[in-house]
Amino acid sequence: MMSEEQIKSLHATGQQLRRGVLELVVLSAIAAEEEIYPSTIQQKLKDTPLEVKEGTLYPLLTRLKNSELLQYTWRESTGGPPRKYFSITDNGREFLDGLLDTWNQLVTAVHQNTQNHLNNE
Amino acid sequence: MNKVFNINLGSYPFTIDEDAYNHLRSYLETIHNHFRQTEGYEEITHDIEARLAELFLEQLGNRPIVNFQDVEDAIATMGRPEEFGADPMSEGTPDPSTDAGTGKDKFKLKTGKRLYRDPEEGMIGGVAAGLAAYFGIPDPIWVRFFFVVITISGGIGIPLYLILWALMPAAKTAGDRLAMRGEPINISNISKIVTEEFEHLSEKMTELGEELSGKKKARLKMGMRTRALRSGSLL
Repeated sequence: MMSEEQIKSLHATGQQLRRGVLELVVLSAIAAEEEIYPSTIQQKLKDTPLEVKEGTLYPLLTRLKNSELLQYTWRESTGGPPRKYFSITDNGREFLDGLLDTWNQLVTAVHQNTQNHLNNE
Repeated sequence: MNKVFNINLGSYPFTIDEDAYNHLRSYLETIHNHFRQTEGYEEITHDIEARLAELFLEQLGNRPIVNFQDVEDAIATMGRPEEFGADPMSEGTPDPSTDAGTGKDKFKLKTGKRLYRDPEEGMIGGVAAGLAAYFGIPDPIWVRFFFVVITISGGIGIPLYLILWALMPAAKTAGDRLAMRGEPINISNISKIVTEEFEHLSEKMTELGEELSGKKKARLKMGMRTRALRSGSLL
């Protein structure tokens, strides 16, 4: 039986792993659409292990926008403040492709190196 | 019968009841404190406030007044700072009221002094009051005296004042006011500032009441921060 400390540590490491892939997933979600509103990204991730609060997305989107991987346009909204719709830039697509390569290499390497453990169980 | 406040959130006017107002204000304080050191702070908090305004408008429908539950629901969608943190590159300042127990480095919470204008204590633009707070001078009168002296002796006092006015940001939030004085941001300090703000508010209200005597309802602007309201930011 794991101790409470170890369960906490498991939780924290899981959190780190999710953090690492969030940028990849958010960029992919944006690349899949012509343009997208942040709450729609949140909806897409809902009920998955990558579910986040909307407040998580705003700093990430602002950072990616400032790095010129994303851009946004203002759209009028019915009965609310104007909305920022995000879309991916050409540099963003290149960046995303690079991230996906890294991700695929990681998945393969992780898979190969965890096989033994799975087979021994 | 309940008191209501008129506020500006994301450039939208809202009428909000007292409980909801206090809840929203303390939430926004944690948000601003969390992102204060983050690059793009202004834009992030602006976007979050605009989204909260949108959520309120969706929830309100035809109801006129934002209530506690509306604020709760909007916060549930937006999340609290301890629920963010999923973006390692732009982690905000740990918030002492919410980060307790997550094992984050407590020493980060001590903030150095920062130079702010203090429009609430100021005579003109709050430059002297801000400088006094920064250098630990007990009364801004000495800084003002200094400006008067250099104005008379060399004439650079007025241009210098105007330049500082333009350069120094106004202390808008409770967090700013603490940073201005160099006190660490923690719960008891925030509540001290908030208490002071309420006293300040009630003074202003009395003044306003005298001015408006005859009118039945004094309009209460959130925090009386007309400067903050003009810039479209709630805090």
